[in-house]
Amino acid sequence: MRKRPNLYTNYRKESAIFPNQTQKFWFLTLLLLSISLCFIASDYWILLISRSLTFAIGAWGINIVSGLAGQITLAHGSFIGIGVYTAAVLGGVSTSSVLGYQLDMLIWLPAAGIVAAAVSLILAPIAVRLKGLNLGLVTLAFLFICSHIFSNFISVSGGAGIGRKAAKLVIFGKNLEEGFEIGGYLLEKNQLLYFISLFFCILMGLGFKNLVRSRAGRAYAGIRDGDIAAEALGVNLFRYKASAFALASFYAGVGGALASVISGGIEPGSFNLLFSILAVAIIIIGGVGTVLGPLFGAFFYIMVPGLIQYILKITSLTESALPLNLGQIEAMVFGLFIILFLIFEPRGLWGIWFRLRNYFKAWPFSY
Amino acid sequence: MTIFLQATVEGLSLAAIYSLVAIGFVLIYKSMDVLSFAQPALAVVGAGLISSLAVDRGIPFWIALIVGVSLTGFLGLVIERTFLRPMVGEPVFSVAILTIGIDILLRTTLDNWIGLNPRYLGDPFPKFGNFGSTTIGEVTIKYLEVAALSAAIIFIIALNIFFKKSKYGIAMRATAFDQEAALAQGINVGRIFGLVWFIAGLLAAFAGFFITGGFNTLSQTSFVVALRSLPAVVIGGLDSIPGAVIGSIIIGLTQGYVAYYQYDFETFFGIKLGNGFSLLAPYIIMFIILIVKPDGFFGTKEVERV
Repeated sequence: MRKRPNLYTNYRKESAIFPNQTQKFWFLTLLLLSISLCFIASDYWILLISRSLTFAIGAWGINIVSGLAGQITLAHGSFIGIGVYTAAVLGGVSTSSVLGYQLDMLIWLPAAGIVAAAVSLILAPIAVRLKGLNLGLVTLAFLFICSHIFSNFISVSGGAGIGRKAAKLVIFGKNLEEGFEIGGYLLEKNQLLYFISLFFCILMGLGFKNLVRSRAGRAYAGIRDGDIAAEALGVNLFRYKASAFALASFYAGVGGALASVISGGIEPGSFNLLFSILAVAIIIIGGVGTVLGPLFGAFFYIMVPGLIQYILKITSLTESALPLNLGQIEAMVFGLFIILFLIFEPRGLWGIWFRLRNYFKAWPFSY
Repeated sequence: MTIFLQATVEGLSLAAIYSLVAIGFVLIYKSMDVLSFAQPALAVVGAGLISSLAVDRGIPFWIALIVGVSLTGFLGLVIERTFLRPMVGEPVFSVAILTIGIDILLRTTLDNWIGLNPRYLGDPFPKFGNFGSTTIGEVTIKYLEVAALSAAIIFIIALNIFFKKSKYGIAMRATAFDQEAALAQGINVGRIFGLVWFIAGLLAAFAGFFITGGFNTLSQTSFVVALRSLPAVVIGGLDSIPGAVIGSIIIGLTQGYVAYYQYDFETFFGIKLGNGFSLLAPYIIMFIILIVKPDGFFGTKEVERV
């Protein structure tokens, strides 16, 4: 068996999380690499990578509902927002205008996911009745209602244009805002956030991979490929559509809460239509329905602006010399990539990676 | 009563604007099965073109209007040819997301041109002074609102005649009914797609002018107004032109009444609905209608084969 890594003698082995040694090897290598990266890279890159990791969690969420279960949603950004505000209220500091209970991260992080999931169950009965574009349009309406509430619920969000501070980093009753000393070495807050994001990213990523091969994952795929046929085969549409939305929102809430701690402050206007489109765009660019796709997409989204800035620095161009400002370049690149990927590579970055990998796997043969 | 009439007039003028964009939405959806999120962007790009010609270049307003509007139509044609033609036969949602990509590209370019200060669109009748207003009874009516209403009515009648009488109008209806059968009858379906986008671009540009004309001015957030015609389309049913018009009237009037009566409502019930609730009202109506009647009031019921 050792010489035939792709020979599976039973189904359990084939559907394992790491079906062969190569995958295990690369997973461990990447894990070690990302841990050591924390001590090599500068703060700028550490923050960018942590943000990518948290965005990937949110992107896995929308990948459950849109990629696996095939339900179109434009309200993912709202669920991220709900998670962010739950975390901010439970873990944040109360001021004259906003609420805050300064609870432990062990409470606010799960709560962020659970509250978002609970709110998403409002959409479940609707999702069962509707499908395709109509569902997308309902979620669009839901998005506008949510962003209106975010802007006007001042005791939670601080109000439009003002915003509030995110939750505080307190774990096991220990305040980590100033870093954490471990054996004489001071881990700074950025590094701690990086490790926390990495931990949850791996946890949620493995959770996603596990979901794909589970009973629920197969039911989702059935609903995606033909919901009437799936129902005829005994898949409970209500239960699985509802659970897809709830799980997706759980991921959104957790990812959003972590991302908000990294960025520090939250402005209610940021959970607009573009933000939800961004979530869809990340999985389209990364690869819809794949495990690694959202990770690629999230890194792409966060790293492109970083790279653009880096290129500007080494070519010593100033921002004013360009026809567009940085945010606009970012938007243009993103819009263009959505279009190009949809037309030329619907499987996204994952598809490119897949072909590249197979090319080298079969090298020097082309088949 | 005055308030009621005032709200009705403003609601109807909004309805006129929405119906222009909404008809574009419906035409594209009917003939190509594409829900184009790029329509609001086309509307503001049209307004931007008119503004740049009439104000920056100093071209007489009417020429600028005609050139700007037809350029937007051609832009629609180009978008169809370059981006949407390769996507024929792809899932509806992929194409919808693609049009969102187009929307981002168009609006980023436009936002860069607009900059921070809002832009004016020029003055069609200089002697009235920046599209003034008149007072009938105690109701203030802006000329721009009258213009929007009459333009919408003219367009609806013209399109009706176009679909009933002209060769291309009938071909367009045939294509919407069944693309393959139309192709078999010798209709150039590709050309029809292009024409549909051209007309949708024209309508969007006119709507863009009425949204941003006069004192309203063109700013980076103007497109939100045009996006609100999406609920109108959904209420009427995605593939029905009369539905789009009626949906626009419902949405426009709701928005008008909510804007004027929100304060009374809030004090009566003792609740706060928040700033800008009138802008949210169309989406709430869309939310409710979609739950009750998923295909809208006039849309064709979707029949699915398993």
